[in-house]
Amino acid sequence: MDLSLLADPVFLAQNLVDGISRGALYAVYALGFTLIFGVLDIINLAHAATFMWCAFAGWLAMAALGLPLPLGLAAAVVAGAAIAVLLELVAFRPLRRAGADRLSSMISSIGASLILVSVAEAVFGSQTRRFPDKVLDPRPLFIGGAGGVRISRAQILILVSSVLLMAALGFFIRRTRMGTAIRAIAASQKASRLLGIDVGGVVIVTFIIAGALAGAAGILVALLTNDIVPGMGGQIELRGLAVVILGGMGNIEGAVLGGFILGLVETFVIAYLPGGSDIKDAIAFLILFFILLVKPDGLLGRKSADRA
Amino acid sequence: MSAVPLRRQALPWIVVAAVALADLLLVLRNPADADRLLINVILALSAFATLHLRLLSLANAGFMAIGAYTSAILSVKLGLPVALSIPAAVLACGAVAMVIGLPVLKLKDVYLAIATLGFGEIVRVLIILLPGLTGGPTGANLSTGFPYAAMRATSTWVIAAALLFIAYLFWSLGPSKTGRAFRAIRENPQAAATMGINITGYKSLAFLLSALIAGLGGAFFAHSVGSLDNGDFNFTRAVNILGYAVLGGSGAWFGPILGAGLLTALPILIRDSLGASIGFLHNFAQLPNILTGASLMLVIIFMPGGLASTFALGAGAGAGARAGAGAGPDAGAENRSGAGASRAAVRGSPAGRGGDRRDVPEADEIPPPDTVSEGLADCCLLALDGVSRSFGGVEALSDVSLEIREGGVYGLIGPNGAGKTTLMNLVTGLFPPTSGRILWRGREIQAKAPHRIARLGISRTYQNIQLFSEMSTLENVTAGHHIHIGTSPFSSWMRLPRERREEASAQREATAILERLGMEELAARPAGTLSYGDQRRVEIARALALHPRLLLLDEPAAGMNETETERLGLFIGELKRHGYTILVVEHHMDLVMSVCDEIVVLNFGRKIAQGAPSVVSRDEAVLEAYLGRE
Repeated sequence: MDLSLLADPVFLAQNLVDGISRGALYAVYALGFTLIFGVLDIINLAHAATFMWCAFAGWLAMAALGLPLPLGLAAAVVAGAAIAVLLELVAFRPLRRAGADRLSSMISSIGASLILVSVAEAVFGSQTRRFPDKVLDPRPLFIGGAGGVRISRAQILILVSSVLLMAALGFFIRRTRMGTAIRAIAASQKASRLLGIDVGGVVIVTFIIAGALAGAAGILVALLTNDIVPGMGGQIELRGLAVVILGGMGNIEGAVLGGFILGLVETFVIAYLPGGSDIKDAIAFLILFFILLVKPDGLLGRKSADRA
Repeated sequence: MSAVPLRRQALPWIVVAAVALADLLLVLRNPADADRLLINVILALSAFATLHLRLLSLANAGFMAIGAYTSAILSVKLGLPVALSIPAAVLACGAVAMVIGLPVLKLKDVYLAIATLGFGEIVRVLIILLPGLTGGPTGANLSTGFPYAAMRATSTWVIAAALLFIAYLFWSLGPSKTGRAFRAIRENPQAAATMGINITGYKSLAFLLSALIAGLGGAFFAHSVGSLDNGDFNFTRAVNILGYAVLGGSGAWFGPILGAGLLTALPILIRDSLGASIGFLHNFAQLPNILTGASLMLVIIFMPGGLASTFALGAGAGAGARAGAGAGPDAGAENRSGAGASRAAVRGSPAGRGGDRRDVPEADEIPPPDTVSEGLADCCLLALDGVSRSFGGVEALSDVSLEIREGGVYGLIGPNGAGKTTLMNLVTGLFPPTSGRILWRGREIQAKAPHRIARLGISRTYQNIQLFSEMSTLENVTAGHHIHIGTSPFSSWMRLPRERREEASAQREATAILERLGMEELAARPAGTLSYGDQRRVEIARALALHPRLLLLDEPAAGMNETETERLGLFIGELKRHGYTILVVEHHMDLVMSVCDEIVVLNFGRKIAQGAPSVVSRDEAVLEAYLGRE
């Protein structure tokens, strides 16, 4: 480790900014994934494919149709919700009706994911798609003048929107009637049905929220990296799994905590360790393995129903 | 025979013929595809090895990579002949599997899948991080010191021979102790454990087998293709391998062969026959993945057993027939004479047992329990000492002490929720007591795993029936005999004489027990198709096949009519005469009063009375518990 770098406050601040915005992306992605698991006991491995399709939806809206940024964001979020609802209707609902176990729904989601990614490859090919400069000014801003901490407009957008999304999700789950219904279903679908809750409808709403979060994560990552390819979901798939297992499967606060931890650790390993950028891909897997073997409940604990 | 069953019988063979035809077409058009087909089938069998036990492992692509790169590096960089480098690569996979297997197999269902998915990706990251050895991100090809000609060093015939060898392994394990243990774990891990089957051991064996086979497939892949890239072993590969096994079905070993055959041939044949008429699929490169994805979803939703499940009845009968053939026709004859003898034994006439026993051990009577000797005869067999168990703050059993002496029949009664089944679960090790000790012949056993407790000689039946419902009745009972069969996976694989002998004797024993219970004609039926009462009796037969020193019966008469209950009572009495020690939970008071020497009464988790039936039935506390009082 290069110790002289540690003493450099600007470098440290720079990495904090980069790490937090990276972590915010992981958190937004993982929130949707962990929500589906926490409420429905489904490991939705098609979440990453949804994420990728939303990046393309945003790109189509802004680059191909020339729509402005807010409409591009909306397009991605709507696409995410639509794909998630489709997944629920095609891949998950029939299995839940048949009383299949969660291994089956996981396999079904793996199949759906493979189809979504393959179709994207067939449609878009393997060449990288990029946003035109007019979508989001690529020149970074500097905090503390030139030579200070660099922050891109995409990072500002990420930080603002992720805080808004997390706050909105927290409020929705805790303070609204629908949020209460979602929590009731997470506790017991059977009891919820007996209490007159429209379980099918609430499940659809849950998928809409999860898909919208995948959509937001997809378009934000696309804006940050400006590198949109059908394989981009693979990059975040295992990181998302590492994040939710680190925080505790099905645990919403855990996903946020895990997201920021992974984002910061990755950024600091790249910055401070020699050869760090080579091993950055291994960090998520090491965390995943270590937590599964040592503390499978994660830092904040798994959702209680799963522990039995 | 009507038309519908005929069609149903024909369907499996139509599937097989279609897959064979497709594969034949594929190979005839382009012989180079033969290697790919065979390797995919090998990989499918590696997925089968774990999926058969309902373990969803996605590590196959990782093991495939280890096998491929190890063999490539050994043969090209170190100049080892492929005949050595391939086995070395397979062994390397085995070593890695042993290291990661134990911790990973502790994880349940989806967590195992996630951990193995992570393993596969770690292997890929390592390949990229070691460019000197593996060629790094660009892969093993000419430019990274892996000359194509040197690497391409295997023939289709060698791969085909290896595949036959692996298929033979699964085929020969099927009707053996190992194959039965695999199926038992697949169907009901808890019942398997209480029959003495070491779940962790067999899961590890399956995981190891899967890794070895995937490594072999990978090594063949390297020497068939002649160049390697880490992208060959990514998540998509893992999913495709899973797709073969899921489409084909994980219930029988030939399923994955069908699945791999179909998913390899179909995309190529479709591409070739449709040509460029579907333009948007760029060169059809995505077609295999789309077909795999679609079959994963469709099969899981509409046909969870996969293509092989269309064979379900045929396969079960086939396995049974093969096992029966192993037992030999003379065994059948002797069993029949044995049945007559044991019917005589019911009437209590020992003279009836003088028949021709010859070399068939115990075929003509209930297996006697392995008796306890060495001066412990008067000591108690099982003792509970202040045992408590709570579930999330609710005390299901509190401070219960009792002693069970050898040869006694004990009744355990009490109102619903009194803790009777909890007590049985504690004794059989399904969960440990919160406090207190459980002693077996003076030794503490409360911390032992269920299969270890079963090996001490404690077997049980369940209140809610826990049979291996897709296995035949005979197989269920033979599975109960597990701990007495002294064969290894190796001897089953090699079909050693010992294997045939032990297997035949186990079949005879199981048949004899079924005959004793008058169920011999149900032997070939899948246990799940039997009537409720018959299922209860199969559970008793399975528990007896373990030769228990202590037999725990959890509501054996539940769902039985009066005649059946009466017959059950006679049977328990007969077991007692043969020296069995029995603890029975039952609500039929007539039954309990007539067969038990001593009765223990539980209420709200506490022991409220113990004594002879006549004493207990007049006990104030018992009457209060059952009838209530102001």
